[in-house]
Amino acid sequence: MVTTTVPVTVGPARPRRGGAPGGHRGRGAHLVPGGLRWILPGFVLSVGLIYYSIGYSGYLSFFDWGGGRRAMTPVGADNYVEAFSDPVFWTAIRNTAVFFVAVFAVQVVGGVLFAAAMHSKIYLANLYKVIIVIPVVVAPATLAPAHIQVWQTDGTLNRILDAVGLDVLVQGWLGQSTTSLLVITVVGCWGSVGFGFILFYAGMAQIDPEILEAARIDGGGNLRILYSIVLPSLRPTTFSLAILNFITALKLFDTVWLITQGGPAHSSEFLGTMIYSEVAASSRNLGYASALSMILLVVAVVTSVLIQRRSRERTPVEATVARV
Amino acid sequence: MTRSRHLRAVGLAAAISLGLAACGSGSDGAADASVEPADSGEVTWWGWTPDTPVAERYIAEFNKEYPDIEVTYRNFENVDFRTTLTPALDSGEGPDVFDLSAAGGSPDTWGGYAVDLEPLAQEELGDDWESSFAGGYVDQLRDSEGRLVSLPLGGMSAGFLWYNQDLFDQAGAEVPTDYDSWVEACGKIAAIGKTCLAMGAGGADTFPSELYHAIANSVDPEFFIEAATGQAKWDDPQGVEVLQIIRDMRDDGIIAANALDAPQYPLANEEFMRGDAAMVQMGFWYTQYAGAESCKASMEAAGVSDPTCFVQVPTPMPDVAGEGNGSQYFGEVDYGLAINADSPNIAAAKTFVSWMTMSEAGQQNVANALDLLPALQGVAPDWSGISLVADDVQRPAIEELLAESTETTQSRQWQTTETTLDAMVLAIQQVLDPSSDRPIEEIAAEMQAAAEPSSVGVDG
Repeated sequence: MVTTTVPVTVGPARPRRGGAPGGHRGRGAHLVPGGLRWILPGFVLSVGLIYYSIGYSGYLSFFDWGGGRRAMTPVGADNYVEAFSDPVFWTAIRNTAVFFVAVFAVQVVGGVLFAAAMHSKIYLANLYKVIIVIPVVVAPATLAPAHIQVWQTDGTLNRILDAVGLDVLVQGWLGQSTTSLLVITVVGCWGSVGFGFILFYAGMAQIDPEILEAARIDGGGNLRILYSIVLPSLRPTTFSLAILNFITALKLFDTVWLITQGGPAHSSEFLGTMIYSEVAASSRNLGYASALSMILLVVAVVTSVLIQRRSRERTPVEATVARV
Repeated sequence: MTRSRHLRAVGLAAAISLGLAACGSGSDGAADASVEPADSGEVTWWGWTPDTPVAERYIAEFNKEYPDIEVTYRNFENVDFRTTLTPALDSGEGPDVFDLSAAGGSPDTWGGYAVDLEPLAQEELGDDWESSFAGGYVDQLRDSEGRLVSLPLGGMSAGFLWYNQDLFDQAGAEVPTDYDSWVEACGKIAAIGKTCLAMGAGGADTFPSELYHAIANSVDPEFFIEAATGQAKWDDPQGVEVLQIIRDMRDDGIIAANALDAPQYPLANEEFMRGDAAMVQMGFWYTQYAGAESCKASMEAAGVSDPTCFVQVPTPMPDVAGEGNGSQYFGEVDYGLAINADSPNIAAAKTFVSWMTMSEAGQQNVANALDLLPALQGVAPDWSGISLVADDVQRPAIEELLAESTETTQSRQWQTTETTLDAMVLAIQQVLDPSSDRPIEEIAAEMQAAAEPSSVGVDG
């Protein structure tokens, strides 16, 4: 077994200004890390904008406020109570869960299969790579009109179904509460396979060819090698994708808003569209929107931590030993 | 840390604080709100309406009288306007003049940023200034403290339909006057492969409430405002009947099967302007597209290359309830022009707003654009300068529309809260959803539970 040690990066020794190396340093020097000046701009930006905004949202979530110069009325935890008792909120949570599970499953299966195929000797491999990655790089706003064209009542899908004799399946995919979430999920799956492919393709490239060769010498077929060697090696990538997908599902806004605006009758509502609706409507309710944002933040952080912990629990003992 | 480092850190913190303070301040360099109007200067004007070409025509006419005031107009989509305006006003980067409507409590939402324009109106029009404007417009633009936060530029009305005369002729159909004749006309229009009534009820837009309101007026002309103000319930028999009629319209092929695919804009607008639909429900603002030139621009915007204009004509809403109530229009001030209290250009802005809203020349301009009902009493379109696609057919219909719109006393959205409008849209979407079989009574009850009565314009 190969044993490695985690390298500790040590920079070149530099003479310190105002004191001899190893000599007695003042109390202030202990409190001010040497790299502070380098991280200060990023630190100010990060703390000043991002964390300040999070803190301010948390503060706003305890008020009834229409924004601007309107009066801010303290309402305690009413906004949170309202959120948890709002059926649309639970529809959004359900939709988020459905979207996450479906998109993650398709992304993993599709990504692994495409990556495995691209690592084989396949004709026109580069062309396939471009085709599979294009949905990842094109902005949702650019693609949304095309998706609408496909799914609308007189759109491409219904025309194809009609042409092949499946007219019994023709329906208003966007305008039905039973199919609108399906449209959003399918669009999400379509756009996500390419990203899964990129990560799994890179992950597969990291697998030591000697291990694969040894497996082949031992008589392992392609499927066996994929199942017993490749997939276990991709577990960290898969967990990372799970976290990213969950956060994407929680923050999902652009695709939904551009295609269904969360409708009809809130059937394709997500937290992101709920928050935007509260902010953009004439009767702006920034307090409620902030409460929804805080709930979103807490769910995202807690779930990410849980997935990460689960990931560590599942890390093979050998791999842990190998890293020690 | 050395003393110099301390000083640098304190200096940096001070600089950041000053920067943030500057960002948060919107009143730097603001002019005095009581300043007299000026004959020169610069004015920026933001609005979701009018369309840019119309605004440019307004500005060009204004500049004939005030060549030394440079006005720059910026047009936004509805939602973008709301989300852009507040931060801009808060940060001191807002426009000098901005659109401010009566709907959804807007005078309170943005009135705090606006100059009280009552003294200006009084100075311009005299003590009896309020009677110079069309009925109700001034009150609709006051905030809850009674300040006049914008001066009315024009009004609008709705509750009627526009139809494509060419398609009706081609289908051999008659313009419907009641439910049965509407079904018959739709059958003939469908036979030539066209949509009967283009409608966009998808998304979060509150536009479908106009159809509800128009049908409600056919059922019982008093019901809508009574329910909106809490004097009746949305699940009263009249409310249930309105929703049932909407479902029947879907089942009988009056409302297009794609109605929930998208909002009214762009779906229904583009379908009608492309000539793919025979009818559409739009308000007075659609009159501008009856013009011989403006119709081409609107058809091109809907995706028609090298368009040939069709004849579009307004017609009353058919008596769908069969109660003999006819079609009562509803309307209110569409929007007014507000002056940013933090603007450094209040003097020039006052001149511009005064001319647009209170001068006969400015209001004649508004009337001739056929976009709004002029706010100033006694101003009407000058037909000698207006070219329609088919003057003999369209002009009498538009003149009748103008007369009836001016007479309407029923508000459109002024007395309906945003929460109620949202509940109404939700109910309509459930009624139109082909995959839902929820009973109408249940949908109406849910709408009543979610609605929030308005106290606006209610006596006592």
